Amino acid sequence: MSSKTGKAKLRSAAWRISFWATLAFAFGTMIVFVFLQRFVEHDIQRRSDAWLSGEVEVLGDVAKRTPKNALYGRVVSEVAELAGREVPNKLPSESDSNDSVFFLQRGGDDTLRLWVGAGSGEDTLEAIGKSRMVPDQPTDVRVRGFAVPFRVACIRVDDGSRIYLGLSERDELRVLNSLRLRFLLLWLLIVMLGFAIVFFATRRMLTHVRRITEAASRIGHSDLHTRVPTTPRNDEVAQLGLTLNRMLDRIESSMHQLHTITDSLAHDLRSPLTAIRGKLEMSLSAATQGEQAEPIVSAIDELDRLTEFLNQSLDVAEAKADALRLTRTQIDLDQLLRVMIDLYEPSMADKGHAIKLHSAGSLTIEADAALMHRMIANLFDNELKHLPAACTVIVRIQVSVDSVSLVFEDDGPGFSPEVMPQLFERRVKGRESNGHGLGLAFIDAVARAHGGAVTACNRGSGGAQVTVSLPLTSGENMIQSAAVTHGVN
Amino acid sequence: MRLLLVEDELDIQSFLKRSLEEAGYLVEAAADGETAERLAIDGAFDILIVDLGLPDQDGITLILRLRQLGVRAPVLILSARRSVDDRVRGLEQGGDDYLTKPFALAELLARLRNLLKRNNPPSNEATRLRVLDLELDLLRREASRSGQMLQLTHQEFVLLEYFCRNAGRVVTRSMILDQVWGMRIHPDTNVVDVHIYRLRGKVDGIGQQPLIRTLRGVGYVLKDR
Repeated sequence: MSSKTGKAKLRSAAWRISFWATLAFAFGTMIVFVFLQRFVEHDIQRRSDAWLSGEVEVLGDVAKRTPKNALYGRVVSEVAELAGREVPNKLPSESDSNDSVFFLQRGGDDTLRLWVGAGSGEDTLEAIGKSRMVPDQPTDVRVRGFAVPFRVACIRVDDGSRIYLGLSERDELRVLNSLRLRFLLLWLLIVMLGFAIVFFATRRMLTHVRRITEAASRIGHSDLHTRVPTTPRNDEVAQLGLTLNRMLDRIESSMHQLHTITDSLAHDLRSPLTAIRGKLEMSLSAATQGEQAEPIVSAIDELDRLTEFLNQSLDVAEAKADALRLTRTQIDLDQLLRVMIDLYEPSMADKGHAIKLHSAGSLTIEADAALMHRMIANLFDNELKHLPAACTVIVRIQVSVDSVSLVFEDDGPGFSPEVMPQLFERRVKGRESNGHGLGLAFIDAVARAHGGAVTACNRGSGGAQVTVSLPLTSGENMIQSAAVTHGVN
Repeated sequence: MRLLLVEDELDIQSFLKRSLEEAGYLVEAAADGETAERLAIDGAFDILIVDLGLPDQDGITLILRLRQLGVRAPVLILSARRSVDDRVRGLEQGGDDYLTKPFALAELLARLRNLLKRNNPPSNEATRLRVLDLELDLLRREASRSGQMLQLTHQEFVLLEYFCRNAGRVVTRSMILDQVWGMRIHPDTNVVDVHIYRLRGKVDGIGQQPLIRTLRGVGYVLKDR
């Protein structure tokens, strides 16, 4: 995948929707977990505190009742050790000695009287001495040499000594850590799954929207028969498709009406024109060729111009409404221009003009042949009519990735400033022009009907430039040869 | 040549009938599809002219129907519509031709001749054309007048060949554009005239009888007598 399509994917709505939805989902579940963890932590703490308080009380009781003789230490130690085996949340320890629980009796003179647990107990005694402990209130105590703190409960015995029972928080932390780890994995899994589900669901839906968009954009200027795809489901997307199709139905019917109107208008005008022309021709053949014939000849000429004007007006009108009907065939643009130049060259030469064609060779486009012929003839007619004597007309075919430009340049006086702003409007023509002012409007109409555009400007070095750009269809015959300039003089 | 003219506009029908009769056709006219169908089945026509916009049915429907009924004669379709519909193109592929209104009579006659010729092709195509003292060798692409070789460009030769094939008959500018350059356009400049002028300069030398005549408002004709 190229970086371009990658970026396009990141910009796609499916990606954004799933990104934000997943973010919200992940955030929400994270908050829930934090609360849950706090609750579990509290509960474990409460349980171990309850156990500590209970046990320390029992131990205190035992210490009180056991006679202070030689056996005292052994009895109390034994009881303490037994208690240590019933530790809640206990996990199997790596070492043999029980390092998760300690029992400590501190004498009134702050000396270590009794110690049950790992190590010598001096460090623990010191740590306890530093912390201010309140009886019946288990507290956290950090002991040197132990990574995790101990939870320590304390009770005062009658002889002034204190009994401490400590429980390592190691197991508690281990439980919480494993809980955290499991949740994190689960959370990641759920978030990823959620993202995938949202992404694929939205993409599926949006693919449908995209298909509708693609189909709708394909339904161009002349092809109104196609419809956008619809789904059997009755959701919003299906509604969109149906609405578009209904809209297309309406457009098609108004197009049809427009065609009917222009056709009947054309028909109603053409029939009398045909009759008039026929009668004129008959009287011409009957009349002697001479002065009598002159008005008839000019009437026929006028009639032909009127007919051509009628054709172009209706074409321009239909094209403005995006309703010009096209019959597309494969046309070699280079070939067509050469034939046209061959046709126009003598007339141009008569006025002292030179035509140059800059083309890189054969270039096939899909276009309406009759309209293209008339459009290019129009471009040449424009040059022929408007250029003063002895100018050079350069015709260029420029190919870019997805379009071909047909550029007509001359070194004449260019467009006069007063017509520049509405060059493509109907009935706009220069003061000295003797045309009917449809030329460029017609060229524009044909280009637009083919999905292209026309621009006209005055060149910096003087002279006019008209550029007709037409889209290239896919499966295009690209030019093979390097650019060759063909002079036609 | 028997010709059936199907045209509902009586004005057009009458002048067409007159012109066609002057051109030597035996013309029967019909103003609607039903009459046309009856006439076409009864009489053996060599060629038909059918207008597309008939009051009772579409011209194309009529043509297709006649074809089904076994009428084989070629058809020249007259259309007042602007764009040529695909069905007309289909018929054109099948050997028929079309002409949009309004048209020059000369063009109508030329198209009729072409249709008849297309349907009865000569047994062997001539390789040489001769009109008076003008001679064209189609194989070697050479033209000469009174034995004098003419220096013609390729396009000029094609143009002269077209004139020779239609010697003695009027050809219009749009016919020339259609047949020689292969496009149905109507330029409002004198492009065709300049080509004819140049050709005439080469064909009609000084002191020779001019062969290419201009018929103002109509077109050109290559004299054959």
